[in-house]
Amino acid sequence: MQSLLLYLFLILTVVSTSVFIYVYRSSIKAGDKDGGLTNVLTKRMWFILILFVVLAIFFSATVPKSPYFMFKDEIPSKSVNVTAGQYFFYMSYSAINPDAPTSEPIELGVNELVEFRVTSRDVTHTFAVYDENNQVVAQTQAMPGYVNNLRWKFEKPGTYKIFCLEYCGAGHHIMRGSFTVK
Amino acid sequence: MENKFKKITSLWIITVLILFVVAIILGLLMRFNQGGNIKLDPVTFYTDMTIHGLTMIGIWFVAGMAAVNYIMERYVRTSYKANLIAYIMTVVGVLMLWGAGFIGKFHAGWTFLYPLPFKIMWEQWATPLFLYALLVLGVGWTIWTVSLMISLLKKYTLSQVFAWQHFKRDAKPEVETPPFVLISMISLVGVLSCLITAAALDFLLLTEYYSNGGFINDALLMKNLTYFFGHTLANEMLYLGLAVIYELFSEVSGRPKWKTSWYVAYAWNLTLFFVLFAFLHHMYMDFVQPETLQIIGQLASYLASIPSTGVTIFSILVAVYGTKINWNLANLMFFIGTAGWVSGGIGAVIDATISNNFLLHNTLWVPAHFHTYNALGNVLFSLGFFYWFSFQLKDGIIKDKHSMLKILLIVIGGIGFLAAFYFAGADSVARRYANYPEEMASGKFWATFGGTFATIYLLGIILFIGGILKRCFGFVFSRV
Repeated sequence: MQSLLLYLFLILTVVSTSVFIYVYRSSIKAGDKDGGLTNVLTKRMWFILILFVVLAIFFSATVPKSPYFMFKDEIPSKSVNVTAGQYFFYMSYSAINPDAPTSEPIELGVNELVEFRVTSRDVTHTFAVYDENNQVVAQTQAMPGYVNNLRWKFEKPGTYKIFCLEYCGAGHHIMRGSFTVK
Repeated sequence: MENKFKKITSLWIITVLILFVVAIILGLLMRFNQGGNIKLDPVTFYTDMTIHGLTMIGIWFVAGMAAVNYIMERYVRTSYKANLIAYIMTVVGVLMLWGAGFIGKFHAGWTFLYPLPFKIMWEQWATPLFLYALLVLGVGWTIWTVSLMISLLKKYTLSQVFAWQHFKRDAKPEVETPPFVLISMISLVGVLSCLITAAALDFLLLTEYYSNGGFINDALLMKNLTYFFGHTLANEMLYLGLAVIYELFSEVSGRPKWKTSWYVAYAWNLTLFFVLFAFLHHMYMDFVQPETLQIIGQLASYLASIPSTGVTIFSILVAVYGTKINWNLANLMFFIGTAGWVSGGIGAVIDATISNNFLLHNTLWVPAHFHTYNALGNVLFSLGFFYWFSFQLKDGIIKDKHSMLKILLIVIGGIGFLAAFYFAGADSVARRYANYPEEMASGKFWATFGGTFATIYLLGIILFIGGILKRCFGFVFSRV
């Protein structure tokens, strides 16, 4: 999915930059009496209308795919409590005491709906799940005083890594965790 | 134009450009450390990162303000005193921030996301120094902003300054509002709203700091306040640059001056509204934020792009298409900057889509898009102004030297530097990592790649600003 977004960005950027280059070249070639475009307002309206329609299509196509609405009507078969802290992830099937946090190995089933209940015991962190190809598959913030519920079904078995993506101090880049999906 | 305004503007430019070069060097150190080419300890890395971000956001905001203040003298009398106070308080504020960072090792990031500033991992005094530095900057900038708004409101009524008399399609109003005045006012309202938010944020942080545990802030509220302030400020500084373009692009191109039409008036009034809600896209991954606000965030981010692209970018393309233009480094910077702004906008709209943000949030895609509309957008707008201004200190005739070389270095260096962020971001490499774990090994390659091209960009910038600095220094120390 990330590659698709990169291609989309590259295509749109190349197109828009080409328009700028084309317009610049037309100016270089123009003579003293050339006056540029006529009936600009009509063209502008078309431009805005097309832009509006494209964005409206994007909006209606993407909003239902927002993580808040995914698996909303299903009941999770497993829930995992996650407490982030400088610079560890504590994960457990049972409640975690923030003053004396402990972890246990987490094992999930393929296509099993799991709910991660994510919070923090100190500063804001991110609970970002990476697959075996080292790509982000899901994430939510770990914020002190709040619990973010992330629901997900892992389609492939393997070891999934967890990294913090919200800057949380000098050990930010060493913060990590993992769980397995069988 | 009175010489004292030229002197204070020259001082702003000199200060901004020197700090710019320092901040780029800090950025280079970060990229080369991430690439494994040099070795910084993590605290030094994150201190550099904090100072790099704060310095960059601060200097390009004041650069926009200084440019707007200088040009505004064409329409209204502005306060020299407010300009000077803002300058002094900016210099003092930056020195305090640098003291907190370079000496106190404060490294909570430029967004200082609550409660990180209170988890003291640096000198005890660095946190209050940092918070007071924000206060000094905030007070100085508020005085400046309010003073400019008052100057405009002394000449234009409230409805005139927002160009409401232009709303009717065939209107021929008695008083015409120049686009520069309209966009400046729209931007100043936005700036004031983020400065008020910053004041509330700073007040809450200071209250907690001195309460000895008696008062604890709400992390979600503080994050909303932080990003309302940070995101809006970053947007408004871009709009200040656009105000300058509306005034100067036609002028330096030898074309008729742009006028406010009904669609320009509508577009900018709508932008004022939409941009105030776009910050919500920073909260997408906070699932406890009400869903309605998340959807509004995506909607506002999309809608904010329509008036600005539909009107500004289209206007520039139309003004240039098939038209003979007196091209020089000033209007070329405006033109290339607009193209860069569009590219950054595309990256931003992709990331402002909630389902995409789920995968891209806080990866290198984020610095990718905001560096695009800064390094190859807003910075070029301001550099175009600086360049034009530096010739106003002499006879006003722009004389380019080595234009092609300067542009090639900046553009090629810039594209390579930014491409490294996009490719690594799409490969899920995290932002703000001092060193990459083996799972993000591609980040190392892209960091070296990006750092190398950023060095080329820096070279182009140094060549570009050399003449500007020489002319500005010469004028500041002259006896005129």
